[in-house]
Amino acid sequence: MLEQGKIDSKQAIMLMLSTILPTAILTVPAVTAKSARQDSWMSIMIATTVGLLIARLVVVLGLRFPGKTLFEYAEEILGKVPGKIVGLLYIWLFFLYIGSGVIREYGVFMVTAIMPDTPIIVFHIVGVAVVAYMVRNGLEVLSRFNQLTIPTTGLLAIVFILSTKDMKLARLLPVFDAGPLPIVKGSVAPAMWLGEIVTFAMIIPYLIRPREAHRVATLSILLCSFFLTMSILEALLIFGPNVTGHWIFPAFNAVRVVSIANFLERLESVIMVIFMLGGFVKLGVFYYAAVLGSAQWLGLKDYRPLVLPVGVILVALSIPLWGENIVEVLHFIGQVYAPFALIVLEVGIPLLLLIVSLTKGKGGESDA
Amino acid sequence: MIGFRKPIRAKTLGRGSQKSQGNIEGGALSSVSLKNLVLSPDLETNLRQIKTILDRCSDVVYREFVFAQNEEIRLALIYTDGLADKVQVSDQIMKALALEVAMAAPGQEITKARALEFIKQRGLCIHQIKETNKVEDIIDAILSGDTVLLVDGHATAIINGARGFETRSISDPEAEPTVRGSRESFIESLRVNTSLIRRKIKSPNLKIESMKLGEVTATDVAIAYIEGIANDKLVAEVKNRLGRIKVDAILESGYLEELIEDNPFSPFPTVNHTEKPDRVAAMLLEGRVAIVVDGTPFVLTVPNLFIEYLQAPEDYYERFIFATAVRVIRFLSMIISLVLPSLYIAVVSFHHEIFPTTLLLNVAAQREAVPFPVFIEVMIMEMTFEILREAGIRLPRPIGQAVSIVGALVIGEAAVRAGLVAAATVIVVAFTGIASFTFAYSASIAFRLLRFTLMVLSATLGLFGLVSGLAIIAIHLCTLRSFGVPYLSPLVPTIGADLKDVILRAPWWAMFSRPRLIARQEQIRLEQGLKPSPPETRPKGKG
Repeated sequence: MLEQGKIDSKQAIMLMLSTILPTAILTVPAVTAKSARQDSWMSIMIATTVGLLIARLVVVLGLRFPGKTLFEYAEEILGKVPGKIVGLLYIWLFFLYIGSGVIREYGVFMVTAIMPDTPIIVFHIVGVAVVAYMVRNGLEVLSRFNQLTIPTTGLLAIVFILSTKDMKLARLLPVFDAGPLPIVKGSVAPAMWLGEIVTFAMIIPYLIRPREAHRVATLSILLCSFFLTMSILEALLIFGPNVTGHWIFPAFNAVRVVSIANFLERLESVIMVIFMLGGFVKLGVFYYAAVLGSAQWLGLKDYRPLVLPVGVILVALSIPLWGENIVEVLHFIGQVYAPFALIVLEVGIPLLLLIVSLTKGKGGESDA
Repeated sequence: MIGFRKPIRAKTLGRGSQKSQGNIEGGALSSVSLKNLVLSPDLETNLRQIKTILDRCSDVVYREFVFAQNEEIRLALIYTDGLADKVQVSDQIMKALALEVAMAAPGQEITKARALEFIKQRGLCIHQIKETNKVEDIIDAILSGDTVLLVDGHATAIINGARGFETRSISDPEAEPTVRGSRESFIESLRVNTSLIRRKIKSPNLKIESMKLGEVTATDVAIAYIEGIANDKLVAEVKNRLGRIKVDAILESGYLEELIEDNPFSPFPTVNHTEKPDRVAAMLLEGRVAIVVDGTPFVLTVPNLFIEYLQAPEDYYERFIFATAVRVIRFLSMIISLVLPSLYIAVVSFHHEIFPTTLLLNVAAQREAVPFPVFIEVMIMEMTFEILREAGIRLPRPIGQAVSIVGALVIGEAAVRAGLVAAATVIVVAFTGIASFTFAYSASIAFRLLRFTLMVLSATLGLFGLVSGLAIIAIHLCTLRSFGVPYLSPLVPTIGADLKDVILRAPWWAMFSRPRLIARQEQIRLEQGLKPSPPETRPKGKG
């Protein structure tokens, strides 16, 4: 096996939280609030259902082929050439694409919110360099680093509690004002984010107890949707749907209303640190999946030589792939990429794989 | 009284170290030729042989005399002046053999053939003797402080364990002072050091294995562990790593530390050292292995976890609530000593908004007249502090006082008055310096180095640079292992039961188990239900 390390179920849950949440909390509220407005929280509920189904799908597939990742069983199910094509799709359109998207989102976040005079590429290069060091050291280090930094998110909860003084429940009214369609449309982006649980397919073989994979995936989705709901509600309750829809990072702006003892007032920098650490892990997971997947796709014995080239590709893609400016980036994510990724990569192909493997009778364990 | 033990040469553990031995020592009489030499029955030949080997070693003493009862039996004593206990040598060996044997065995005629046996049984009043016929062992014994007795007509020498060299007396620990707890500290003699450990743990399971390392210095090294608690694999690994060592000299345990650590390029030490016997005993009881090196009071312990730097021996002697509070302080100081100057630089140069308005005005006013950018300013002060610190260690003690006065008054006060640095900068640097003294010195060195790197990062990229730097450090810590144990455990990978002794110091009646990853064998430390409670029958009469 390419990866020697093993992680336990708790580490896996935490890793999945960091895989989905960091950018979700930043970006999803604005994208969802644009179409679903004050009913955004209902969009999250729809998205959660979809996310749970995807999680189920991925784990059922993963357990049918114990010890194998998405890339390996895709080839086993579909045959060599179609399997390679599917693998290529995932490397380029999913892991590298989202990885570069994470870089871009964080670059934009840094530039717009904290350091407007620094060229964005500086953040991209430094960020990827840090994460490359982590990826090089493998899954164990990735999940340990995540375990080390995840407690800092507790500060977010404190910020949430502190900002309750500015919240008004009336801002959620009227409920179900525009009918079901905007809500469904608004649920695409969060569903796509929760559907990033597909990366779990790369981690299932390295669980100490693969039997617990179902529980891990389900719990991860539920926790993620809980935190996502919180962040959307926070933005909606403080600013209302109009302002939330027009802001770039509403959850971040919510921090600005917080004041502790009239002394600690501008906590953005603190929050930035938390988002940065989360971003490192999120990028790490996709970067790692891209590197490991490429190594398996190419049939290499070691994935380490690929860390540097994949990093360079990630940085190179992060600028042109996602549009000129922040408005384009958000538009592209919400209107183009999210529906495509959700339908094709997160639901379509895994479902296809499962159906084919069932009809061909491939795969060891058929219980699920 | 210095004891006597069987020396195990390093080569019994290593792979074919004989080859290199000759090269390192050089000369006509390398150990290769020494190895096969044996004694002859003739005293003169033996003496000549030893004298050739120990040529120009003016501290070796040869004393020839005759046996009290039978003047035909000639004897020779060889020892190193200053290493052997002279009183013992003259009273228990010389006097006994040259004068008192006659009284011990009246009327018995001792022949030359029986002499050796008789001397061994009734002649010597030494409690540890050993026989050998190998010249190599004899040379070893002489240079280690034992006294060798050669008997004419016998190809066997008697090695008397009568060592008695000058050692420093046991004193207070200099590097790890404590308010409460044992005041003993290790000294430079290996035997005294192992006795200090043995005095704390009187168990037959406490094993102290010795070996000699260093081809020229032949330094005694002892490996101590508690059988049944320490992981067998760990003990084997320690022996293996020590056995691999082929080096000319081991002058301090630091030599060994660098030769056996897991990650030689890490700024963080993965082998711990201490000069406190109680600390070593506690480490052994948790399943660690201690390496005692002759000639230094610093004993190595492995495996070494990061959290050990936050733990002080006192934590376990003070009541647990207080100990926990102190650990929180130590943990905070650790973070402060790493990030405070870089945070200051980042905030002053990039993120003014973090400062509350009044504080911002205050700092801005102070910095108004300062001619340097904040990074240069902090760098100058940090360098000054490091220089003062180094000077404080190197200078003779009486002058040390002067240095601190000069440092505090001239550099701190005058620099601020002259407007070269802001008072806030001095406060930041001084506070950082003080904070770095609250936890173990070896870790604080690593933090000092990394602090400068972080300062450069935050001067260029602000908080982003600082967090990136911290992330790299965290990732690096996650990759480290010490003798196979993850460096950051039990924090990550999280081991719930072991978190009782990280930030929180659980009360002793709740320390049920030993650390999981270190002591794999006997985990249970104490019985459940030892929590003290008031007696059920209360004295009558009082409400």
